[in-house]
Amino acid sequence: MFRKILLAYDGSEGANRALEVGIGLAEIHGAELWALAVQEKLPRFSGTINEVKEEKQFADEQYGKLLEAAKVKAKEAGGELKTLMRPGHPAQTIVAVAKQGKFDLVLVGHTGLSGVWAAFLGTTAEKVSRHAPCSVLIVR
Amino acid sequence: MEQVWYTAAAWMGLALLASLISIRLGISVALVEIFLGLVAGNLGTYFGSAIFQPNAWINFLAGFASVVLTFLAGAEIEPEAFRRQLKPTLAIGILSFLLPFLGAGAYAYWVSGWTWQGAQIAGIALSTTSMAVVYAVMVETGLNETELGKLILAACFITDLGTVLALGLIFANYDYWLLIFTLVTAVVLWRLPAATRWMLARWGGRVSEPEIKFIFLILCALGGLAVTARSEAVLPAYLFGMVVAGLFVHNKVLIFRMRSITFALLTPFFFIKAGTLISLSALLASLGLLMVLFGVKMITKVIGVWPMCRIFRMPLRESNYTTLMMATGLTFGSISALFGYNYGYINQAQYSVLVTVVIASAVIPTIIAQVFFQPREVGPLGEAELGYVGTAEHFLHSADE
Repeated sequence: MFRKILLAYDGSEGANRALEVGIGLAEIHGAELWALAVQEKLPRFSGTINEVKEEKQFADEQYGKLLEAAKVKAKEAGGELKTLMRPGHPAQTIVAVAKQGKFDLVLVGHTGLSGVWAAFLGTTAEKVSRHAPCSVLIVR
Repeated sequence: MEQVWYTAAAWMGLALLASLISIRLGISVALVEIFLGLVAGNLGTYFGSAIFQPNAWINFLAGFASVVLTFLAGAEIEPEAFRRQLKPTLAIGILSFLLPFLGAGAYAYWVSGWTWQGAQIAGIALSTTSMAVVYAVMVETGLNETELGKLILAACFITDLGTVLALGLIFANYDYWLLIFTLVTAVVLWRLPAATRWMLARWGGRVSEPEIKFIFLILCALGGLAVTARSEAVLPAYLFGMVVAGLFVHNKVLIFRMRSITFALLTPFFFIKAGTLISLSALLASLGLLMVLFGVKMITKVIGVWPMCRIFRMPLRESNYTTLMMATGLTFGSISALFGYNYGYINQAQYSVLVTVVIASAVIPTIIAQVFFQPREVGPLGEAELGYVGTAEHFLHSADE
């Protein structure tokens, strides 16, 4: 039923549970499993290009480590995980990637790293479920 | 009497707080530093404390920061991208400077009744564009890697060049000192790429940092000569950055080290100082002028940039996006306003208005561009490259290879 699954991955506990579910679903459906890490909080309205470049490089390293670890986990479970990294707003980027990549399922953890703001503005999972072009599975 | 260590501790404390807030909120440290400077400066004035009032050594660090920032901005140009799209880059960049410079200057002089020199400062400060703000926006969409993105960045570069030329030449004394400054700068810039290349090859990468000291030496010497000629130190700094840009592209370690020095020690003093000088009471009294000057900047940018984009057959959405990007401003606008205030061309109320308009132009056009005209594509869905995972140390070593 599902051929291409997109996992929103930020290394949080919720995202790791979603990864486990994703590996299982990919195996059952013979689907491709992709993990997307969205680099949020790159400096906006920057005073120098160097600031952006250095923060981007820092984010590349941090999120690169997370995705590498997720890949290893998937491999240990006998699956294959493809990875993507994008800077931007988490929910908007997940929805945009899901549209562009023609994914037919998006997996998100119930609680990620959104922190205090999520209590006021809604979690990334809520926003993705409202705007995604395909089915969304929120993993608890 | 001022106890220098307490003052330094207070300013560095504010700089540290700005870094932490910036990381937490994902807003540039420059903007947070200006904001905290504003709060601290105005509270200090209210409670009668002088600790956040700029003094001689803070002024020097802030001035040096503006020179190094300008040098680094000059070194950002990608000569190849610039050559590839020479005509649209020059046309968009020049008009993006010229129309706001004339429009804002004219409004400040004829309508607001500013002095002639004050109006010129207003024109320069509001003609600027911010390569950094633009770059930050484009990184999010991957647009910085496309031809359109490179064209916009190169056009920003030309606009900034207009700003530093205006700052350096409008207020200069046209006497023999300016002639000496021009001749020396021309000769030095002609020889600098070769000299810098030799310096990097022969002495680069040592712990005593001779290559950075060499760059600082050139910046200080040319800056000194510029100020003697009543020009501005940022002019030779930007030109120096331009002529060695090609060398910097290949020397990531040098850039990395210069960034560390600049961000840790220099730029906090520049941006916090820029904030402390904003008077809240003056700002509140001039809210109307603030909004009008912001409008003037936006309208003149639209009149200057948008038709050019269409003439060069840019699609409508991209033309709107480019116009809004070229209407941003931050660092060079702040440098120009601070220059005007330091030399007495504008008073504190005028400075407060100009810097606030500049900050507004960093935020508002950016948000409009992202919400309404942001390219819908998120870049090709290629797999992430995970090979560069590592620490800063890893980066330094790999950059050496």
